[in-house]
Amino acid sequence: MVTAAAIILVLLVVHSAAGQDLSGTGPYFWIFSAVAIVSALRVITHPRPVYAALYFVLTVFASAGLFVLMYAEFMAAALVLIYAGAILVTYVFVIMLAASAQSGGEGPLSGLADCDAQSREPFTACCIGFALMGVLLYLIFDKAEGLTPSPMPVMPAAAMAGNDELIHGSTQAIGAYLFRDQLVSLELAGIILTVAMVGAIVIARRRVVGVDGAFEATSETINATMTPLSDDPSSIPVYGTTNPRQKAFPET
Amino acid sequence: MSTLALQHFLAVGAIMFAIGLIGFMTRRNLIVMFLCTELMFQAVAINLIAFSQYVGNLAGQAFVIFVLVIAAAEASLALGLVILLFRKRNTLDADAWRDLKG
Repeated sequence: MVTAAAIILVLLVVHSAAGQDLSGTGPYFWIFSAVAIVSALRVITHPRPVYAALYFVLTVFASAGLFVLMYAEFMAAALVLIYAGAILVTYVFVIMLAASAQSGGEGPLSGLADCDAQSREPFTACCIGFALMGVLLYLIFDKAEGLTPSPMPVMPAAAMAGNDELIHGSTQAIGAYLFRDQLVSLELAGIILTVAMVGAIVIARRRVVGVDGAFEATSETINATMTPLSDDPSSIPVYGTTNPRQKAFPET
Repeated sequence: MSTLALQHFLAVGAIMFAIGLIGFMTRRNLIVMFLCTELMFQAVAINLIAFSQYVGNLAGQAFVIFVLVIAAAEASLALGLVILLFRKRNTLDADAWRDLKG
């Protein structure tokens, strides 16, 4: 809450400071990139997973702002809808469902699971990560003479045709491109989404032997053939049990 | 304020990718590890759109759409698997699965 208020305040201040130069998108780039990088740092450093997910939402919004600066309005909207609206909600649900066993402790790390409180090989990971970042930044800034320095962002060519196109932005062009040139890829993407949905349902219905030992697994039950619940042809087969009662309520 | 170049956006993407990589290696919570892979997806998407804008065609933006599709499919499947693993060992610690072979 405080962070969001501070960000809004900073946005307002910079907006008023940049009021005399409305055409320049420079200040907005620095704001959005700073927000994205700082909240990305908080994603990987915050010990509580729910807060990490919420900081990731902030990163998504800042990235959407960067997309808008690059005249990719449709991608910005799609990013906010898909990431902040769908994927992150799923993440938060799973984080809250899978509440780990808590370990005692004092200070800000109390009530956290052990796997959240302590990191794994932070020094090695930082060495590798910063080496990668250094190489990438060196390549980008020092070895990019082959790229002619063109001012970013430039308006897309389709949008410069007239005022009417300027209102629409690049969304129309993306739609035409997708459905004219990338039709097979688009259909394949739809098939992938359908397959992933069916796969997720099948995975989620698989019975898992609990740690409390309430259900003793034998090799017969683990390797049991896929059996439908009932004669209903639309029922989903259940793995891993031969008990029809457990088939009926696989999650209990 | 100097004019923005392609390099600025690429630099933001590179920094975010490195942050995501560090997070993937250091965090031990399975869900946060997947969150860090999503961070790396974001960085790649920024790079793709920057190059698409620089080159001047729409292939990069279309590619970002497919990246989003793959990210959604990966998130649903991965979170289902994480739930299964959690119910098996009752912890989200990736080190609990240290005994996996291969």
